[in-house]
Amino acid sequence: MGIVALLVGMMAYMSLHWASMPPSRIETIDPATLHIAGEFVEANLGSGVEPNGSVTVRVVGNRYSFTPQCLLVPTDTPVTFRATSADVVHGFNIAKTNVNVMLVPGYIATFKTKFKEPADLEMPCHEFCGVGHATMWAHVKVVDKAEFEKQAGGKRRVSCVK
Amino acid sequence: MMETERVFSLRNVWFTASVGAVIGIAAVAALIGFIWIPLEQSNKTVAGLWDAICTAAGVPESFRQVQQSAAPIAGPSNVIVSAQMMKPADGLSIGRGAALAPQCTMCHGVRGMSHADAPNLAGQHDAAIYKQLRDFKSGHRTSAIMGALVAGLGDQDMRDLAAYFAGLPRGPEATAADARHEAPVIVRNGSPMRNIAGCTSCHGGIDIKTGSPRLDGESESYLRAQLLAFATGARHNDIYGQMRNVARQMTPEEIDTTARFFAGR
Repeated sequence: MGIVALLVGMMAYMSLHWASMPPSRIETIDPATLHIAGEFVEANLGSGVEPNGSVTVRVVGNRYSFTPQCLLVPTDTPVTFRATSADVVHGFNIAKTNVNVMLVPGYIATFKTKFKEPADLEMPCHEFCGVGHATMWAHVKVVDKAEFEKQAGGKRRVSCVK
Repeated sequence: MMETERVFSLRNVWFTASVGAVIGIAAVAALIGFIWIPLEQSNKTVAGLWDAICTAAGVPESFRQVQQSAAPIAGPSNVIVSAQMMKPADGLSIGRGAALAPQCTMCHGVRGMSHADAPNLAGQHDAAIYKQLRDFKSGHRTSAIMGALVAGLGDQDMRDLAAYFAGLPRGPEATAADARHEAPVIVRNGSPMRNIAGCTSCHGGIDIKTGSPRLDGESESYLRAQLLAFATGARHNDIYGQMRNVARQMTPEEIDTTARFFAGR
């Protein structure tokens, strides 16, 4: 009995502190028309600053690249990733962080996190998605909050694609 | 002899205590899992108690409306690309396509093999031809010549043309063995750390992604021009930048090598 109570307590603690990766609310979307209208049209992808100061990053996985190819995020700011796939199952995993979620066509994956310090991170696709899977990489550039504000200033969406 | 006490009885203290404890833990766990954690994690986007319970239980929700800019955003294409986008070609469709084809032959060749640095259409995948025609018509891909020529075509006309040209003969398609042995590294393997997938993983040779054209035998100058246009974004009718993301990362030498290789096949 004590052990069961302990396990429940452990799971609650991990979920509340984002140590584990609890699933987000299931949201469905038609993967075939993603690019034509709605939240995931190309011009709406990338990082956007919300009215409350947090940052939302929208990403689409599509054989064999992520769009945008380079994600720009600030330090010390709540960041919400919203991502989905336009074709097959892809993996969304930012190396050296606990951001790790599957992009399943038809469903929107949501993940919240915070980055502590500036870094250049790799983001490989880690669900086998086809012949070109091994080449499917994106990059995540974590920059200082002030630097991010400078780059994002006034723009609707920002990324570090050159 | 002593009478055995019944185990499943409310008078058995051990029984009531242990069942009570199990129910208690289940209730606490449900409160934590269905109410506390969803409310806490969603940063108040959950609308209430019932919504929190639905969230935790995994009840699907169609995506939340987000504010969009009022102006319609020009995307890369209006075509829905899927394995089911083309119907199997029938004789009627091919015949209609043949009747429409003469306006194409000036550049694309009498039998779909061009001598004018325009793409060869013979044996091209029907989905690829159809998608490009649609994009020319909607303006997602721009060309002074093609834009004018497709203006009068309806959806069925474009399907018929695709069916007709797809059925014309071209040399045999590249096989996986060819791709392994002859092709330069950039065509075969791409460059993983730069997010360049090998051409053969979508354009045939190893795998074909719906909507991707076969490239063998196309004109070198046409292929180079398209790769450069994708790299600068001048051409942008590839859904989610599937070609722009690749071409942007390629060096000018790699673009030359790739164009020359496919032209020489």
